[in-house]
Amino acid sequence: MQQKLTIALSKGMLLKPTIKLFKEAGLPTKNLDEDTRTMVFDYEDQNIRYLMCRPTDVPIYVEQGAADLGIVGKDVIVEQGKDIYELADLGFGYCRFVVAVPEVLKDEKLENFNYKRVATKFPIVTEGFFRSKGLQIEIIKLHGNIELAPIMGLSDVIVDIVSTGRTLKENNLVELEQIMDSTTRLICNRVSYKTKHNKIRPLIRKFEIITKGGITT
Amino acid sequence: MRNKIIPSGLRDLLPDQVKVMREIEKKITQLFKGYSFQEIITPTFEYLDVIETGAGNIREELFLFMDREGGILSLRPEVTVAIARMVATHLIDKDFPQRLFYIANVFRHIQPQRAQHREFWQMGVELMGVSGVRADAEIITLAVESLRTIGVQDFKISLNQIGIFNSLLEDSSIESEQKKLIRSLVEGKDLVELGKLLESLPIDDALKETIVKLPVLHGGLEILRDLPYLEKHPQASQAVEELVNVYDALQVTGVRENVVLDLGVLRGLDYYTGIVFEGYAPDLGYGLLGGGRYDNLVGKFGRDCPAVGFAMGLDRLAMVLDSKEKSLPHYLVGGTDYEKVVERCNELRNKNYVVEMDVENLTKAELEQKLKAPYQLIYID
Repeated sequence: MQQKLTIALSKGMLLKPTIKLFKEAGLPTKNLDEDTRTMVFDYEDQNIRYLMCRPTDVPIYVEQGAADLGIVGKDVIVEQGKDIYELADLGFGYCRFVVAVPEVLKDEKLENFNYKRVATKFPIVTEGFFRSKGLQIEIIKLHGNIELAPIMGLSDVIVDIVSTGRTLKENNLVELEQIMDSTTRLICNRVSYKTKHNKIRPLIRKFEIITKGGITT
Repeated sequence: MRNKIIPSGLRDLLPDQVKVMREIEKKITQLFKGYSFQEIITPTFEYLDVIETGAGNIREELFLFMDREGGILSLRPEVTVAIARMVATHLIDKDFPQRLFYIANVFRHIQPQRAQHREFWQMGVELMGVSGVRADAEIITLAVESLRTIGVQDFKISLNQIGIFNSLLEDSSIESEQKKLIRSLVEGKDLVELGKLLESLPIDDALKETIVKLPVLHGGLEILRDLPYLEKHPQASQAVEELVNVYDALQVTGVRENVVLDLGVLRGLDYYTGIVFEGYAPDLGYGLLGGGRYDNLVGKFGRDCPAVGFAMGLDRLAMVLDSKEKSLPHYLVGGTDYEKVVERCNELRNKNYVVEMDVENLTKAELEQKLKAPYQLIYID
């Protein structure tokens, strides 16, 4: 029996480059489009199925085995810390985690933000970063528009992901420190990796040839 | 309504679930006994000291509490450490090899998920006091036979020798900080960062290539040919030779078709010392069993003793089994003459059938109405 491969895709910014990559790798992409409201795309002839997920939901689908593979940003992966394989760096969707402050504070040292309030969508990454610098902070978890927090005095600092840095600039914020870079990753369920090895290995190889990144086997 | 809820991650197991689990236990117990393993029971909780001596610092996963003298206690997170303690104390006068098995509920403070609970059931074996290929092969064979005997379909056991990875890492020119980082990346399964880190290190290219490849190598003996650096490295190639010998022995014991070499099985790098293995079924995104050789554990309790064993998750085994298996005949027995009814019930029970006796004194018509599959009605007039 041919095994079916289920891949969880991130809707939104990552979808277009994902479809492009899949096309080049010879995977089915006919009618693949998030505007149709379809949540499952099943290509029976090729034994492949895609799930349309919110990016932050991709790791849990893969961890629990509802999907074998997933396409998701490293930013989401590090924040969630799920038990999954990270198999390949797909290169696209670049962004970076930064600590940003209002422009008037741009010459302050990071140490001066000890015991201050930090607004972020990424409490785990934020806590880990400040702890590794020996600093304690109070985290204010927000779900969007983080830039608003320092403007309104809700926080002293923010931690957010930026790609070009334009949003920061528009809100009179400057980068104080970089925490880490993030690109899109191919992730895999720990059992699928063993039981569907013969289907997954060639796929990784194709992705690697196309993106020229990731592991070199 | 707090008086009706139970703590997160715990479960009430209902009759159908318990039935499947007990059936599994029964079949595997019989298998273990046939290999001369003897059952033991260890305490449900132990001193935290004992658990940390054996398993290291896993405090975040433990359920801890205090006794009245202020000693810290932990519900058992697994059973192997307790058995090691036992072998170094009560069983110290017994000759090796000792073959022991257990069925136990264990407790871990983990995030509850579909196949992951805070109290779950494990069944496992430990073969104490022997090293070498034949002991390893016996334990792996038992793992395969366990899954076969309960009828798990299309399962695979992934087999590795932890010494290959450990000796490559230990004996190389890599700095100790970097070694720690490599271990944590391998254990965290982050192969992308692993590749990037290795690329940046000033070490032998063949070594880099070998370390990067290890976690993804999967297949038969041919995968070992893919590792150029190994031949140059005496300890690593010795570990490879041991792995090949065990794999060959599994041909003799008749289970090799279910075993795959998988150098990515890098569980508990500090705990295991030789072969390591894990078992999977295609339909479940979680492992079914895991084990390996741990020659240093019993020594921590003061008795040098090589050991090998494995544990399997009974809850997960129950999930992958077809619960609609054929079962024994079921009878519902009723009638007016109590003595005759009891007599008939006992007669049927002696044949190992499942017999429900009517204790409500119902008429034949009432019983017929009540009858549900798979029960058949016997009414004694």
